[in-house]
Amino acid sequence: MADFEYQQKELKRGTFTLFPGLCKGCGLCIEKCPKKCLGWSETLGVYGMPAIEPINKEDCISCGVCSTVCPDCAILVERYGKEEKKKKEEH
Amino acid sequence: MAVQPAMPRSWRRETKPHKFCPGCGHGIALRVLGQAIDQLNIQDRMVFGCDIGCSLLAWDFFNVDTVQTHHGRTTPVIVGLKRARPELVCVAYMGDGGGYAIGAQHLVSAAMRNDRITVILINNTQYAMTGGQMAPTTLPGQKTETSPYGRDPDMTGHPTQGPEMVATITPESAYVARGTISRPKQLHKMVTRALENQIAGRGFSFVEILATCPTNWRTNAKNTWKFIEETMPTHFKVGELKVPEAFQAAAGGEGARADG
Repeated sequence: MADFEYQQKELKRGTFTLFPGLCKGCGLCIEKCPKKCLGWSETLGVYGMPAIEPINKEDCISCGVCSTVCPDCAILVERYGKEEKKKKEEH
Repeated sequence: MAVQPAMPRSWRRETKPHKFCPGCGHGIALRVLGQAIDQLNIQDRMVFGCDIGCSLLAWDFFNVDTVQTHHGRTTPVIVGLKRARPELVCVAYMGDGGGYAIGAQHLVSAAMRNDRITVILINNTQYAMTGGQMAPTTLPGQKTETSPYGRDPDMTGHPTQGPEMVATITPESAYVARGTISRPKQLHKMVTRALENQIAGRGFSFVEILATCPTNWRTNAKNTWKFIEETMPTHFKVGELKVPEAFQAAAGGEGARADG
């Protein structure tokens, strides 16, 4: 099985993973984000279009709407479990 | 193992990124179908039939047996498969051109006969693969390649109401619904029910899915959402049109929650 390259960012409530090799830069997720925290990235996606990234990192609530509306499964949002949450708070 | 995209197990990973345009609704519709396949665990006994048009780009989408047919002939091919091998779960996947224009007779006949198949029809209001010509589902006033001044209902009629038509001619055991890719959870329920209805051998299952086509609508992301969420539902009402009693009984006190 082919592995896809990814860029992972640790946000307040969860991790945000983007797979640039899948992102076609359609922008549907940017419009659908309830907190408007996504924007265009410096990274290029599969068709040479800008990929996306979380710009307002503080606002992201890791709701996962962006990943459910992505037609290409290019976004993976994983919320922290209880233990990871505790670790974050300690830091 | 490295972090991997949350693709359904039934997707064929080596063919991804898939062949659809950026922002195409097929991706979401097929992800929902993939999740339903995973959930019902039918990957090893399923046949996926795709039509001509953009829907044929799904020919290598799943790790399931796939057949690609002539334009509009997916329904009869899948009906034949189902009759020869009733234990298989057969899904016909087509666009609005294949289902409502050239393949309308087959859709109507299969619905009349109450064949035990699942038909999933993607409605993006035009013939997308050939550059966006006017289709039976084009909205009044909508500009396409072959209706440059907007569709005139006087000359070309109103958009085809597919699920309404199928719901009228099918018996009570059929499942008919219209979903939209802007509500993936509701759509997931509809597609799952459409497959379950076939597996239970009750009758014809039909789901029309409203899908985006930014390439031919010539819209940016914002207007794409606006068109599918605000303009399209004014002509195409989203919801379940015909639900067999078995589902209604199973839902019980939960009620028919239509929103997603």
